[in-house]
Amino acid sequence: MAFDSSRLDAALAALTAFDWGADPGPLATIDEAVVAAHGAEALRADLERRLLGVLAGTASRAAKEYVCRRLAVIGSAASVPGLSRLLDDPDQSHMARFALERIDAPEAGAALRAALATTTGQRRIGVVSSLVGRGDAGCVPLLADLLGAEPALAIAAAEGLGRLASPEAAAALAAAKPGPADAAILDARLACADAFLARGERTQARGIYDAIAAGVGPTPTSHRDRALRIAATRGRLACLDRT
Amino acid sequence: MKRIVDAALGGAVPGRQVRRRGFLGATAAAAAAPYVITSRALGDATTPPASDRIVIGGIGIGNMGSGDQGAFLGRPDVQYVAVCDVRKTFREKGKERVDQRYGTPDCAAYVDFRDLLARDDIDAVHIATPDHWHAIMTIAACRAGKDVYLQKPETLTLREGPLMIAAARRYGRVVSGGSQRVFDDYHDIVDPCWAGEIGAIRSLDISVGGPSQACYLPAQDTPPDIDWDLWLGPAPWEPYHPGRCDGNFGTGGNSWRSYVDYSGGSLTDWGAHHFGGAIFAADLRELQPEKVTYHPRSADGRDAAYVSLTYPNGVEIHHNRPQALRPQASVAHGGAIQIVGDGTPRAPKAVPGYRGQGGIYGDFIECVKTRQRPFRDIELAVNTMTAPHLVAIAYRLERSLVWDRAAQRFRDDAGADRLVDRARREPWIV
Repeated sequence: MAFDSSRLDAALAALTAFDWGADPGPLATIDEAVVAAHGAEALRADLERRLLGVLAGTASRAAKEYVCRRLAVIGSAASVPGLSRLLDDPDQSHMARFALERIDAPEAGAALRAALATTTGQRRIGVVSSLVGRGDAGCVPLLADLLGAEPALAIAAAEGLGRLASPEAAAALAAAKPGPADAAILDARLACADAFLARGERTQARGIYDAIAAGVGPTPTSHRDRALRIAATRGRLACLDRT
Repeated sequence: MKRIVDAALGGAVPGRQVRRRGFLGATAAAAAAPYVITSRALGDATTPPASDRIVIGGIGIGNMGSGDQGAFLGRPDVQYVAVCDVRKTFREKGKERVDQRYGTPDCAAYVDFRDLLARDDIDAVHIATPDHWHAIMTIAACRAGKDVYLQKPETLTLREGPLMIAAARRYGRVVSGGSQRVFDDYHDIVDPCWAGEIGAIRSLDISVGGPSQACYLPAQDTPPDIDWDLWLGPAPWEPYHPGRCDGNFGTGGNSWRSYVDYSGGSLTDWGAHHFGGAIFAADLRELQPEKVTYHPRSADGRDAAYVSLTYPNGVEIHHNRPQALRPQASVAHGGAIQIVGDGTPRAPKAVPGYRGQGGIYGDFIECVKTRQRPFRDIELAVNTMTAPHLVAIAYRLERSLVWDRAAQRFRDDAGADRLVDRARREPWIV
């Protein structure tokens, strides 16, 4: 490990006492270590372990945010337990996701999927957002179950399914019962249709475009409905163009 | 085909203008802000009647938003009806300006952009919030059927760009980026390059500030003037400090433009202009870089690190390359942009420009009317902003990268892929 461990010791001690308004200068050594950790597994693992120690301790919110930002870059499966414990913490849920969403270990996705069952309120919406941000195809059945949840969560689930845009997501959206997420479901279904079209699956795409065009009707009266009709009609024409 | 499609959809302007006649009193929001029929509403020799004007609202009416508001407000073919800002001072000032212009008290003022977007009488919005809001608001506006004039830098992360383009295309929206300088300020390099005078372009040097920084400003009491949670929106929660959220144009630590949660710093702020002008001059707006080369600080410490981008056609852009390493420029824009061509004159190309009258604002309005793509169409804007975003990631990681445009990720570098996007604070999602 070429990085000077004693410098890192001092920087981590400063981090433990860090708060907003403090001199961030000593933290620069940690930033240097983050860069140096690329391709240096021993340094990366050591740095991750030390940062997780700060996260588990009594450091300030500012210090723990700093940790999460760095774990987003160098974190591994080893970070997942410490981060996932924070997912239902009102003050730290977002920054825990800030790291978990970007950690490419499958354990991070599994932890977020599990958190859909344990988090509450807006933090649950945040978990949806991060699963979608990871492109986690495995969460589609879980998001489908949320389409009947309270409005804000159902809307987030619909938006998430639209971003994932898999055939399974499209099927879940098509099967959704009418409710407060209807508008988000329409947007998501259009995204799925566009994804079908991009994959050359014109029949599936056409089915969605037709259904949305029929729902809007031939003479839309609002900007929103006109935009939906434009989306559906352009999609239908694109299906024809590629036939 | 496009005109036929638009006509069939009722999306072309003549149809939309007819329907817009119904906006007076058509919605609950309009009822809440009653519209007084004035002589201006009926039109005159120089002002179209209200029913034929583009109805606009503004989101983010502070520093740059105020400038955008003034530009739209001065147009006879625009009816400005609503402002939105999380700061009461800006909100009230923005409303007052509109009311004074029209001589009515009718301009609505909103804290939450979703309330403005819910108004069906509004055809288009201009957005000049900090960058961390751009993608969410633009996509929401497209879904609501609004056209969008979006201040630069249009994106904060690489992932946002394709999502914004997809929303614009899916819903048939006109989405214009907002760098007024790209066309207006760089004739000294654009004109000779497009005229073929310097031959095939080989390299460009751009001198502009670096990436944004982390913000550790101390907490202060949040003043009642601002909805702090909504100002932060998808960004990490941080305590209020005026230097964190001030909209001035500096990037030295006393503005949101300085900080990584809200901005790409000078690199994307002034960089949107300088990269934009250089990329326009070199006719690279349809492309994205593929190689990103990080050059570390020289061994003797005299030359700072710099980053080079290589486009698929071989053209190179160098950000802050040390002066001693630069070849003699064929053309230059002051000390900010230097362009080197091969010196063999080429056939001239027609320079793309604005449509309509009134600079980039007129270009946007004309495109709203005609459903054409604007000069800084969102796709071209995203391509342009990809360049400084890639530069920023190379500086942060201090390594060279390969960007896969089709996949929108880096090749063989999962660590760099982590910086393509960032988690948004709940409940915000794109």
